[in-house]
Amino acid sequence: MALNRKVSLFTGLKYKGGGPMWAWIMHRLSGLAMVFFVGGHIIAGFLTQQFGSEVGIAINTIYENWIFQLALFFLVIFHAVNGLRVVILDLWPALLEYQREAIWLQWLTFIPIYGLVLVVVLKDALGG
Amino acid sequence: MKKITLKLFRYNPETDKKPHYDTFKMEVEPTDRVLDLMEKVKGYEDGTLSFRRSCAHGVCGSCSMRINGENMLACKTLVQDLGTNKITVEPMLGLTVLKDMIVDMKPFFIHYESVMPFFVNDEPDPAQERLQSIEDRERFDDTTKCIMCGACTTSCPSFWANEEYVGPAAIVNAHRFIFDSRDKAAAERLQILNDQFGVYRCRTIFNCTVACPRDIQITKAIGEVKKAIATGNLD
Repeated sequence: MALNRKVSLFTGLKYKGGGPMWAWIMHRLSGLAMVFFVGGHIIAGFLTQQFGSEVGIAINTIYENWIFQLALFFLVIFHAVNGLRVVILDLWPALLEYQREAIWLQWLTFIPIYGLVLVVVLKDALGG
Repeated sequence: MKKITLKLFRYNPETDKKPHYDTFKMEVEPTDRVLDLMEKVKGYEDGTLSFRRSCAHGVCGSCSMRINGENMLACKTLVQDLGTNKITVEPMLGLTVLKDMIVDMKPFFIHYESVMPFFVNDEPDPAQERLQSIEDRERFDDTTKCIMCGACTTSCPSFWANEEYVGPAAIVNAHRFIFDSRDKAAAERLQILNDQFGVYRCRTIFNCTVACPRDIQITKAIGEVKKAIATGNLD
């Protein structure tokens, strides 16, 4: 008998792949989260418009909550910027040599955009 | 001298149902290699410890294993490079464990064979050698450095998820011949790799590039093969 080759999620996550591996995991998770965001939004709109349902209104209240908005913007912007990095590296393989720098550049792009979101959302939430 | 704790993955198929870890405390030199520590355990503490090793100089690629959670060659990793007194050694992921650190490399070599890792040119032999410019040789220089240790393929989450994925090592070895100006089977190799379990299983995660003990730009090589398939152009 030999040990099965199967790699559990826990074992896989323990592998020390570093920044690029975590960027990939985050990309997957944020992609999945976006399916729920969009799906929830469509369901909420449908329920409110067609039946004037309380459930739809409840979902929309969660959506409009500033903490939820911050999480949503974080995941969407991260997914977009990370996706852009992968697309650029895929189109110009010569740049793959500078993948570490690409990760830094990705965060340098992400931080000001998300910073702007923080200012706008927090100003609205706490100031208003 | 430095005191360290060495934690080793143990699995004996004849007696164990589940793997376990054995811990050894020892005094070592900071310049000792992880392979030296394992030899010490095998020689003085427990002769049943099993692992592959051959040249012990980073050339044969036998002793690749997971050291502190990352694929490395045990013979090239010094204790001082790990920056900790706790060293954990485990077998590579995604391949069947036969005993302790020894994994079944057969699936790995089947993928290697599948990409035709040999020179193909049916034209009549020239009077002298087949000449190549320095630039043409440079084109695939990086991928000639592969020692087939398996550190890249077994660090790849796409390979963990699906054993049928050809894996980074096979693509690196295909790249070595695809971009060789003297070879004539590039189109055939690109067709083999243009498969649902071929290059497009690569998700640009970069674990392979980080794990490679020869510092081959593996993700770049895979990217070049992807581009060659998409454009039909080797330039």
